[in-house]
Amino acid sequence: MTDLLANLALGFSVAAHPYNLGFCLLGALVGTLVGVLPGIGTVATVAMLLPITFGLPPVGALIMLAGIYYGAQYGGSTTSILVNIPGEATSVVTCLDGHQMARQGRAGAALSISAIGSFFAGCVSTVLVAALGAPLTSLALLFGPAEYFSLMLLGLIFAVVLAKGSVLKSVAMVLTGLLLSMVGSDLETGAGRMTFDIAELSDGIGFTNVAMGLFGFAEIIRNLEMSQESREIVQSKIKGLMPTRQDLIDSSGAIARGTILGSILGILPGGGAVVASFAAYTFEKRISKNPERFGRGAIQGVAAPESANNAAAQTSFIPLLTLGIPPNAVMALMVGAMTIHGIVPGPQVMTKQPELFWGMIASMWLGNLMLVIINLPLVGVWVSLLRVPYRLLYPSIIVFCCIGIYSINNSPTDVVIAAIFGLFGYWLVKHDFEPAPLVLAFVLGPLMEENLRRAMLIARGDATVFMTRPISAGLILVALFMLALAMLPMIRKRREEVFVESEN
Amino acid sequence: MSGEAKTSPKGGGFKFKVRGPRDFYGGLALIALAIIAMLASGELPGQHGFAFGPGTAPRMFATLLAVVGALVSLGGLLIDGPKIDPFAIRGPAYVLVAILLFAGMIRGIDLRMIGIPATIPSLGLVLSTFAAFMVSILGSSEFRWVESLIAAVAMTAFCIGLFVYLLQLPFQLWPAF
Repeated sequence: MTDLLANLALGFSVAAHPYNLGFCLLGALVGTLVGVLPGIGTVATVAMLLPITFGLPPVGALIMLAGIYYGAQYGGSTTSILVNIPGEATSVVTCLDGHQMARQGRAGAALSISAIGSFFAGCVSTVLVAALGAPLTSLALLFGPAEYFSLMLLGLIFAVVLAKGSVLKSVAMVLTGLLLSMVGSDLETGAGRMTFDIAELSDGIGFTNVAMGLFGFAEIIRNLEMSQESREIVQSKIKGLMPTRQDLIDSSGAIARGTILGSILGILPGGGAVVASFAAYTFEKRISKNPERFGRGAIQGVAAPESANNAAAQTSFIPLLTLGIPPNAVMALMVGAMTIHGIVPGPQVMTKQPELFWGMIASMWLGNLMLVIINLPLVGVWVSLLRVPYRLLYPSIIVFCCIGIYSINNSPTDVVIAAIFGLFGYWLVKHDFEPAPLVLAFVLGPLMEENLRRAMLIARGDATVFMTRPISAGLILVALFMLALAMLPMIRKRREEVFVESEN
Repeated sequence: MSGEAKTSPKGGGFKFKVRGPRDFYGGLALIALAIIAMLASGELPGQHGFAFGPGTAPRMFATLLAVVGALVSLGGLLIDGPKIDPFAIRGPAYVLVAILLFAGMIRGIDLRMIGIPATIPSLGLVLSTFAAFMVSILGSSEFRWVESLIAAVAMTAFCIGLFVYLLQLPFQLWPAF
């Protein structure tokens, strides 16, 4: 316990450095901005801003990127509540009750409850990250190649199970991602694999190119074909930002449950903020005494998903920081950011760079505090941003992405590769394939192959090694169980229900 | 996205009707991708002794992808599913051209390698950004000249300020002759 306190003290001393406070604030603001604006997702933004963090010190860079992620969870709810368009995928369900509340003149209460819920969730999950960091790190030391392989397999299975749509198609996306990750030089022999003798491919396909293509360009192309729906912003002055006593009493349970559910789903590989918000909403509706109020402005329907997505956004750092395995696409980008700064994500980060590890955790709490303080008074500013028409926004995103991609390696080829992935992503959407499992598999691919090869070599070619080592066997069994569960007709229906709920 | 319940019962003359075209053609494309991957990694040495060769994992995953692709495709053949939404041409085309234009202009490119007898000189960041912005904004159905030009200049200035002056990244700003 004293250890934990000493570590947190170290963390706060790092995070409270004026420089780092500045990065934290910048990240939180950019995150909110992105969250507010519909049509730019978190993954695309973090990818866009990766090149910018090049010149920053590593701690500052990671603090800023983390701020973008949880800041976006705050911002997304604002758009959902006021405009009825989700600013982020994570606040899709917040539209349902949040916008109804706004129409009943209770926009202020909805906004403040979602901020309070997010802040509470942020505090709890920060403590959770700090508390779980050390034990999980020591667990990671027990892991050999076989265990690592099984763990990543579990992560990919989770990504499949938790993805929207058909399980089989998500598996196909995972395999596509793994294959794409193998383009380039072989790690052990240096042989060029699937490079088609294109010199630029010998280093492999850059992760940022894939992410920006699939999440940035593809999204823009898709948005362009939708008719520009007029944004019906709730115009009346937002008055009474403070929730009433009754509001607080009504939502306290929902906030607590959302936080717990979100924290768990965030830690699980393949999970993350999107799933957490859906799950929390569905759960809240199911246990409610009067579920018919949901969709008509129930404050619990705002409190639960908003707490859950913020909790999940933060606890998803746990597997990344302790095991070195990114549980979702945003964390995969964090791996990219860490690699740029020469940090290998994994258990050694905590022992070798404690100031980075604890500084980042402390900054999350500070960031959450900043968000509550800056967000509510700034609602007016965010709303006026929503009046910027998309026809001016999307060319800006395109040129920003182009410059960003180019600046990473000064390579025009990277820009072309991202464009190709943009078209590929557009095609995927048209055929109901989810890009998220692909991206996760793409990041885990090289790690998985390396550990698979090592495990096989150590075991002298005996593939049963994955089942004879207890931890590995346990992980694989959980993975198989999850997969079987997702295939069961009854669960499958329930799973679809959770996702459909958000769309009507 | 909602309400895409499959209708269109129309009885074609085919005996085998593709019931879920999205899955059917999606699966076929995945099989094609797997075959390309297999061909591309076919020459790589495979397993020897206990050790994987560089070709082992790609072939393994390509085979799996082909199998899963076939299953997806089969599902599309047998199970009713939604039709494929029409692909838009205009928007994607402008966006694509804008991105390619940026890639070509920023460092210059010899178009003769794709059969066009011309070269684009290295035009630098300012012109590339401006051109890419203008081309991509043309893809919008609500394009307006004055507004677009102002926005393009503003965005170019913003990007130069951010990337070149604030972040100090080494960019060539103007055309090199």
